[in-house]
Amino acid sequence: MNAREHNRWVSPAVLAVLIIIGVAFLAPFAWMISTSLKPLNETMTLPPHWLPSHPQWRNYPDAIAGMGDFWRYAANTLYLCVLCVIGTVASSALAAYGFSRIEWKGRDQLFLVLLGTMMIPFPVIMVPIFTLFRNLGWIGSFKPIWVPAFFAGAFNVFLLRQFFFGLPRDISEAARIDGCSEFQIFMWVVLPLCRPALLVVALFQFMFTWNDFLGPLIYLTRQDHFTLALGLQSFQSQNGGTEWHFLMAASTLVVLPVLILFFFTQRSFIEGIAVTGGKN
Amino acid sequence: MLLALPGCRQSPDPSQGRVVVEYWEKWTGFEADAMRAVVDDFNASQNRIYVDYTSTSQIDRKLMLATAGGVPPDLAGIYSSRLPVYAENNALMPLDKMAADAGITRDRYIDIFWQMSMHRGHLWCLPSTPSCTALIWNKKMFRDAGLDPEKPPRTIAELEQDNQKLIKRRPDGSLQSIGYIPEVPGYWDPLWGYFFGGSLWNGRDAITATDPGNVAALQWIASYPKRFGVHDLLTFCDGFGSLASPQNPFFNGRVAMIMDGVWDYNFIKNYAPANFEWGVAPFPSADPVTLKDVTIVEMDGLVIPAGAKHPKEAFDFIQYVNTQKPMEKLCLLQRKFSPLRECSAQFYRDHPNPCIATFVKLAKSPNARPVPPLAMWMQYQNDMMNAVNRVWTGKAQPEQALERVQERDSQAFARTQARWHRLAPLLTAEWSKQP
Amino acid sequence: MTKAEQRNLRNGLFFISPWLIGFLALCVYPLASSLWFSLCDYSALSPAVFTGAANYRSLLTDGVFWKALYNTFYFAAFSIPLSLLISLTLAILLNFDIPGRGILRTVFFLPSLVPMVCLAVLWQWMLNGELGLVNNTLKPIFGVLNYLFGSHLQPPDWLLDARYAKWGIIFASLWGVGNAVVIYLAGLQDVPRFLYESADIDGAGFWRKTWHITLPIISPTIYFNVIMAVIGSFQVFAVPYVMTNGTDGPDRSLLFLATYLFENAFDYFNMGYACAIGAALFLVIVVLTYAATKLSESHIYYAGK
Repeated sequence: MNAREHNRWVSPAVLAVLIIIGVAFLAPFAWMISTSLKPLNETMTLPPHWLPSHPQWRNYPDAIAGMGDFWRYAANTLYLCVLCVIGTVASSALAAYGFSRIEWKGRDQLFLVLLGTMMIPFPVIMVPIFTLFRNLGWIGSFKPIWVPAFFAGAFNVFLLRQFFFGLPRDISEAARIDGCSEFQIFMWVVLPLCRPALLVVALFQFMFTWNDFLGPLIYLTRQDHFTLALGLQSFQSQNGGTEWHFLMAASTLVVLPVLILFFFTQRSFIEGIAVTGGKN
Repeated sequence: MLLALPGCRQSPDPSQGRVVVEYWEKWTGFEADAMRAVVDDFNASQNRIYVDYTSTSQIDRKLMLATAGGVPPDLAGIYSSRLPVYAENNALMPLDKMAADAGITRDRYIDIFWQMSMHRGHLWCLPSTPSCTALIWNKKMFRDAGLDPEKPPRTIAELEQDNQKLIKRRPDGSLQSIGYIPEVPGYWDPLWGYFFGGSLWNGRDAITATDPGNVAALQWIASYPKRFGVHDLLTFCDGFGSLASPQNPFFNGRVAMIMDGVWDYNFIKNYAPANFEWGVAPFPSADPVTLKDVTIVEMDGLVIPAGAKHPKEAFDFIQYVNTQKPMEKLCLLQRKFSPLRECSAQFYRDHPNPCIATFVKLAKSPNARPVPPLAMWMQYQNDMMNAVNRVWTGKAQPEQALERVQERDSQAFARTQARWHRLAPLLTAEWSKQP
Repeated sequence: MTKAEQRNLRNGLFFISPWLIGFLALCVYPLASSLWFSLCDYSALSPAVFTGAANYRSLLTDGVFWKALYNTFYFAAFSIPLSLLISLTLAILLNFDIPGRGILRTVFFLPSLVPMVCLAVLWQWMLNGELGLVNNTLKPIFGVLNYLFGSHLQPPDWLLDARYAKWGIIFASLWGVGNAVVIYLAGLQDVPRFLYESADIDGAGFWRKTWHITLPIISPTIYFNVIMAVIGSFQVFAVPYVMTNGTDGPDRSLLFLATYLFENAFDYFNMGYACAIGAALFLVIVVLTYAATKLSESHIYYAGK
């Protein structure tokens, strides 16, 4: 916003402040990476050492080997992410459109209900939902994890609805006068304008599915269905102590793809949320 | 195409048409590998049954949900302390008949482990690996303090005498090291009463948090903040590194004695300095005559959840594990001892822990005691831990803290009893029709 | 109902149908069962037995429940405003035209990408009284303060001291403000340039522009984030649970409503009681969200409305 800020010192000052806070934000992460390169007996030492005496690059292949079938888990995770992203983006966009760009009786009341669903603590409904999936014969398959994504999560509908509200009325009206159906307006007028907003939903969903632990823990029963987040547990042994160096190496590997994804999309990701119509 | 990838990729079926027994186990790391080796042996030993072994975290939660949902595994490994709540809530299949048919009887086991497998008159599990606690002490610190390194304390009074001699302070008066502190490792806070002749329930119809033995134990705990000051004690404790590190206070010379389970050997091997000199002895008790060889026993048990599809085949595997050779292999790989009464000399020769025999002796002691077999034990345990913590931080007097537990958990006990009496006629009828 | 209204209703329902179906199957039905269970003695393994309001009556006298409720409110009361302040400030700073903006944005977002188990483990170490980075940073600062004012400030033993444990969790949760920062950043892109330009002509300074232009225009975003923070902070569970290994912290200072619910459901096999706790938690969140919505109604500005 302040590209035209005249004071010359503002930009360096802001940069300095951000770097200082940034270092604080990075510190735990840096420690994670440093631990991932230490031999086991150098993790958790007193006083803490920032650098391993000899970087143990072997921890990475060892962690991959120690996790069981790392690549299989990665493929499973990716598979679930892709399905969940497709389902969420499609269904949330539809629902958000219905909640924002069409006026109908009871809409705002129903939207409050949608908001309400976010407030339901998951453990409360866990058992009935589990029973439901069991009756459908889905336990032990990937379905309980990806099918619900096709039913528009409240968070994403809320997010998209805010964007849709920001689009000026007239763009739909113009299309409506041209004789477009509501679905055509959605597909060909509104969606193209909020493609970047959809990217946001997609990315959020991707990250959620990528790191989700509880869902896979409950529903997946076979080791060859495990996801990466579930695989991380294999380094926490009950009586032998946690293998910190492997846990951290594997965590780094798990974080890395999402990190890279975010780094390269952050610009359109952030600007995407912008309500295109509001900018002149 | 991508979508079809993991879901449909056919992996070669290792079971080759055999009956597949789905087995969930809580272990990870080397402990998981140990059981995997036994499973592999079993799968190779015959061609009728294939055990599909999955190690998973939070097995309690997962097992409960799966059983409630009617899709349990055929076999699961759980802590024996969880047997009562599972059994009383209809989550398990009783094993009495299958065990009897297989000729498995109580005389095959070290007594306590068979007792721990029973609840409300039925057999619910058979042991996989056992454990018990003992005093482990640092001989060098004993020697340096002028104590006989081969003579560990036998009573709480002796423990405190040695403790006094082992205290070292820094020039500013803060604690440098100490002989013993009940908070390391702090796993058994609710059970200290055992070492003072206390009990946590009367064996029938009431919990006994305020038992004089428990009060005496908490008074002993309370003496620490009195002697050292709450703040100094907490600061001293916060300086301890993770137990799974060379900064484990027992390994770096800040604490000379600890009580720990048989697995402590794994920590010593991984994190203690190479010249670490240690010994194992029964943990001291209030009275060496009436309370000789007191130990807290724990056990991992193999259970068959209610609704399992292949209970008979699952039991075949349990039976296999509970024969001498596979059991010794499992316990050796996990560096524990065998729960079976018969144990080969080879086992002791091969065992890396030189003090393993002491643990076996303790497990056979008449004062070997597990947690009380109560369906509400988890809540009771949390409340007892909270009571100990309040005493430890000087927030409450022992009697007062225990009375609070007694009141709150008597209600919880009444609730579980009521639930049991409601379900018992139904369940016992069902249990009598065992496969 | 006019023809246009009918058409709109049909269209509206068509568009929201994916959500509606999911809502009925994955919310209404489970929630109804859960409400029913809250009136029963239920272990999830045997049939539920109706006990009327017994669970709710027990809630009223259960000191541990009230402790969990207090802890949850305490956590929310501090973490929501703090995260609002920090994430908004960071977003405004990150919106300046500075070199390396992309990298910095990624840096602040990074913690949101770390898996929960790993995050909790990292913070256990950060907050350790003797080894932790937090205290090793505070020590010299306190040293200077003590020197200047003759005070005796000591950095606390975060996770071992019931008085400070919740602050440890609050810090850990603040580390994860990246999500909110990104959403604010997005909101900031909506502020039309020409408004700042005309404000510049009027000679308005940074603060006035922020107060009179930026904040009103991103008010829908603020509302969104506040609601999310309310919902998230009242359901706080995973980080304290992993950090304390499920022990609720010293003197139950880290026992939150969601933790207590989990304990009752899965450790104590009191699903009925857990559902009653869930109902209480749900009620609290609904009331607070409603209050937030009412309070903010006159302050939110939608460009398209």
